[in-house]
Amino acid sequence: MASITRASVSMPSLSTSVNQSQRRISGMNSVSFPVSGRSMIPSLRLQRGLQVCCACQAKQETVDKVVAIVKKQLALPADAAVNGESKFAALGADSLDTVEIVMGLEEEFDITVEEESAQSITTVQEAADMIEKLVEK
Amino acid sequence: MASTSVSKGQILSLYRSFLRTARQFRDYNIREYTKRRTVDGFRQNRGLTDPSSISAAFSEAKSQLDVAKRQAVVYSLYAPDIRSVMETDLKGKR
Repeated sequence: MASITRASVSMPSLSTSVNQSQRRISGMNSVSFPVSGRSMIPSLRLQRGLQVCCACQAKQETVDKVVAIVKKQLALPADAAVNGESKFAALGADSLDTVEIVMGLEEEFDITVEEESAQSITTVQEAADMIEKLVEK
Repeated sequence: MASTSVSKGQILSLYRSFLRTARQFRDYNIREYTKRRTVDGFRQNRGLTDPSSISAAFSEAKSQLDVAKRQAVVYSLYAPDIRSVMETDLKGKR
């Protein structure tokens, strides 16, 4: 009985969770198996791996797409140095440009960004991380 | 609109609402016009510093947003089936 969950949770206690029929593992697209009577160690390793994965940043291709949209919006030359750490303001974007960039990202990735999140985006990396989070849902 | 001074956040929200409303139009021409007009209109008024003129521009923009939203509803009732040639990609597919 395997179930695929995207739930984030769990601080499973070491002693009591062995007997549970379902385990919820934090992370993206994890598969949980009922563990009964098995040793804890393999599942712990699985959890640790997923936790590391959660901490890593957005995928490079997402960042590349964001960079492409930013360059198009701000009319930057194709060889301009834009990476994850570039701030929009440093690239010459004002607040209206930032709104347009976020709109472009919404259309490209087919997501909807809320007001407060949209106003807090200042760098390319933040945008990519937020996109990853919204695409997961 | 009880407050006399308009905040930057409100203006950006209005801008975002315009662009979102523009997306609802199925007609390519109207959609592109709405986007162009909001970009031009907001950029034109970027340099305003006088609070009364800022709030006048803001309330005018709000009424225009209502117009756009109404039109989005009306146009969606009679949405065209044929898409504009500008929306075909390079392979000629729609």
